[in-house]
Amino acid sequence: MKNVNLKKLIATLGATALISTGLVVAVAAPAQASTPVCVEDAKTGVITCDGALSNGAKYRTMVPSNYGGTFFFWQHGVRPSYAYPGYVAPTGVEQMSPTSVNHKVSTVKPMLQLGYGIAAYDCSSNGLHGWNTADCVEMLNELVTITKKRISITKTVVYGGSMAGAILTPYIEKYPTGADAVGVLAGVSPSIANTLKSGCDFLYIFSVFFDPTIKGCTVMGTKGVPGHMAVLGDFAKVGALLTKWSVDYGSSPIAYPAPLAAAGIPQRSALLLAGLIAGIPTKSGHMDGISTNATLIPEGSINSTVAILENAQDFLGTAYFGGQGVAEVVGAGFYDNTKTNFSALLADEDLGRFTVGLSGDDAVNAMLATLAAYPRVEGVPASVAKLAALDKSKFDTTKPVVLLSNEADRLVLSGNQVHYVNKAKAVYEARLAAWEKRLADAKDQPEITFLLKNKPVWNTVSMYAVTPDTYTKFTATGAPDLTAPVAISGVGHESFTKEQLMTWVRVLASSAKTGKVPSQTVLNTILPKVPYLNTDPDYQPAELKYQD
Amino acid sequence: MNLRKPLILTVVASALVGSLVMNGFSATAASVPGVSSTEIVLGMQLPQTGGASPGYNKIDDAARAYFDYVNSKGGVNGRSIKLVAKDDTYKAGVTITTARELINNDKIFAFFGSVGTQTHLSVVKDINRRGIPDILVNSGYSGFYTDPKKYPNSFGGLGTYTVEAKILGKYLKEKYADKKIGILYQSDDFGRNALAGLTAAGLKFEAKKTAASFVSGTHGSIGLGTQIGQLKANGVEVVIIAAVSSATAVAYATAAALAYKPTKWAVMSVGADSTTFQTILGARGTPLATSAALLAGTISASHIPAAGDADDEFVKAFKKINTDFNKGPDKTWDFNVLHGMNIAYIATSALMGTGKDLTRAKLVSYMEKNGAKLSNAAFSPLGYSASTHEAFTGFWLGEYDASLLLKPLDGKRVVYTTDSGSGLVTVSNYQRPAIAADALPKVA
Repeated sequence: MKNVNLKKLIATLGATALISTGLVVAVAAPAQASTPVCVEDAKTGVITCDGALSNGAKYRTMVPSNYGGTFFFWQHGVRPSYAYPGYVAPTGVEQMSPTSVNHKVSTVKPMLQLGYGIAAYDCSSNGLHGWNTADCVEMLNELVTITKKRISITKTVVYGGSMAGAILTPYIEKYPTGADAVGVLAGVSPSIANTLKSGCDFLYIFSVFFDPTIKGCTVMGTKGVPGHMAVLGDFAKVGALLTKWSVDYGSSPIAYPAPLAAAGIPQRSALLLAGLIAGIPTKSGHMDGISTNATLIPEGSINSTVAILENAQDFLGTAYFGGQGVAEVVGAGFYDNTKTNFSALLADEDLGRFTVGLSGDDAVNAMLATLAAYPRVEGVPASVAKLAALDKSKFDTTKPVVLLSNEADRLVLSGNQVHYVNKAKAVYEARLAAWEKRLADAKDQPEITFLLKNKPVWNTVSMYAVTPDTYTKFTATGAPDLTAPVAISGVGHESFTKEQLMTWVRVLASSAKTGKVPSQTVLNTILPKVPYLNTDPDYQPAELKYQD
Repeated sequence: MNLRKPLILTVVASALVGSLVMNGFSATAASVPGVSSTEIVLGMQLPQTGGASPGYNKIDDAARAYFDYVNSKGGVNGRSIKLVAKDDTYKAGVTITTARELINNDKIFAFFGSVGTQTHLSVVKDINRRGIPDILVNSGYSGFYTDPKKYPNSFGGLGTYTVEAKILGKYLKEKYADKKIGILYQSDDFGRNALAGLTAAGLKFEAKKTAASFVSGTHGSIGLGTQIGQLKANGVEVVIIAAVSSATAVAYATAAALAYKPTKWAVMSVGADSTTFQTILGARGTPLATSAALLAGTISASHIPAAGDADDEFVKAFKKINTDFNKGPDKTWDFNVLHGMNIAYIATSALMGTGKDLTRAKLVSYMEKNGAKLSNAAFSPLGYSASTHEAFTGFWLGEYDASLLLKPLDGKRVVYTTDSGSGLVTVSNYQRPAIAADALPKVA
């Protein structure tokens, strides 16, 4: 059995490859990329190759002994270039395939068991990461290209999480034959500008109501370590506020600006307002937005206020580190809120639902009036324009695209997936309308036959992991228990159950094989078997506040 | 150059296109969610349990009773009507989940009669985005209906709070010109709508003195006791309440406990059902005689007959159906039961009128074009049109007597009508068509 597998694998590797158990062998590769070094695991038969792309960035491929020809190329998310407490800037291939922090899940083993080849690389340019999406598009293309030359690949899947959405969408548009299917997990829908504006709004509101020394997105843009440190310093101020609120639930009155301080509005109401304006989920790992408790959480919107508090830290991570990464690309001053109507960003349904948490109509009116009158941030036009153009995509790929997000993702808001679907659907509908017109106008049989064979298809699946209905736990004192296990599904960033992740992977493999996403009928038989995976093809948990 | 298309090709192309269209049509018709050859499935969200549920938790059973009656007579165009109700406990977070269940699990054709303003606000945008009809919504919040471009599939099931408040406000302003008039209202779009209507009628309120807002429904009524105390401290003589039944009842009980006796109470109709009022206070240990004494003399409004109006032909017909078909845990006849049956009657009319080839788009179109002609128990016509989806355009005012029957003011029922905008309050001359002997709608 071992010999058979080895023979099959050698056949996939091409004539120049030589493999033996435990033996390091040089494999031919394009001139600019380094030669990968391959090792076969004696126990599993998996052959792991480590190499470097032409710019020196590391990559790894893993091929199981039962490899069937389908190869998955993993694109990781954003990686700050510099260390900060609790984070060490990665230098290699730390993640080979989708993982889940909440569930401590790795999909490497099950994917290999299914006979898929897997690859991943470190998207670093000159040793740095950040928002280097344009470089990543080219590096991913290089990885796919050199791997295809080395290994026999019948179906190619490019897939990735988080920032990867802003890489994979431009990638497949630039290299239409570069993959047979595209998978985006909790991904940014290009451009990040939409989410970033909300993050900057969130920080701006913090500077108005909580601490005028907070610079928010205006602190971003200085390149290198000095810029990183400046961002960290500002983040620390916000972090101190979040820490304080986690103890007193923001019960102290708003301190700034002076006229509003006299109103006695609790800080938590301003936090909730800021979260609703920015579109932060009103459910979190521990807070379901519903459960109540007679003392500290007497009403659903208070529950959601704590949810926003719990989600804020990660969301601010997006704002600060994503923002700094973007600022290094587009320049300082990318944020401009001189024309922002904050009242319009507070949705009717949120105002109705969260009245108590917002401390009632008078408090809402006072806070919105303050925001309307407060001095605004004027951006640098060139940077604002560059941000608007960043990762610009047409959403017009005809390849199968399979999306999966948590409904309450606190870092890359689930509205990103909604945004992708709406943009892609608009393109599809325009294409369909044009096709229908061409068919109606068709003059000869060959053209009609051609058109009938080439009818546009909707080739996107949008899946969401949803939360249980309720899951908030309370301590004996009536406080929400933020140390309890987080919700089993639907919360966190890139945190899914193993079943959810592997369903996404299988749907991707199937789509790559056929060129089409599974029909809704097929999905209706697959998805209900996976706990907390939404089955509704038209489900949209939330929209981004900005829709460019 | 001959630009004329060869005839044979034209025929082929037309046939193919026609075939596609026909296939597409057939596929669409066959796949309308919630509609089969034998059944139409409707979904309702309402508080069946929890603090805000008393009274409203009877609407689904009443509507279902009427639908069961219709089904017993052969249904609508050969299809029976099935009503699936979900308990959202009046919590918007739950409403989002129950809506998802109704759409995905129960595969409903349309939302029908969903109860609550802030709860419905949490789902109305999504329902409309999906093109699902959202008919006879049990909220008088005008924001759902006055801009059909915003919510094209939502149609009211109550007169708007603005219309009712304008009518009530005009009367109170004239009748109690020498009294200090105050308002106790829910801090949500229900309360704000009512406040806007009363203000449009010329009443003026002063925040934190004669205007007191509180939060109702989700966990008791937060701040209600303090607000009653505020009205008392400011010498308010006429108190208008714009709140759900549970909060209204607690407001009365709180006032009694504070020995606060305004000259007059006036309560918006959705919070003023006498049976519900007594049930809620009864659960708090208040004897029936005491609760009756509290409510007696209260002014309220109604778009339909008083539930206790035994001579009204709709009341008689619906009451019998309630007796024969209502399988709910509490089918005690009251305003909520009458109203639940009436909106089921209207829904049945609309489904009949839309016809056998039922689609979501056709129902919405029918409601918009013909809904205003659908007669029912109300004393004013439905306001549905292309420019507004407001329901009942008129109310009559009454006062509870000692037996808690809402009797027309000054002994004669006068129906007033207005709009949710700046229109004047006028007397309606609408003549309600009679109900058929079999209590089924007759739709052309």
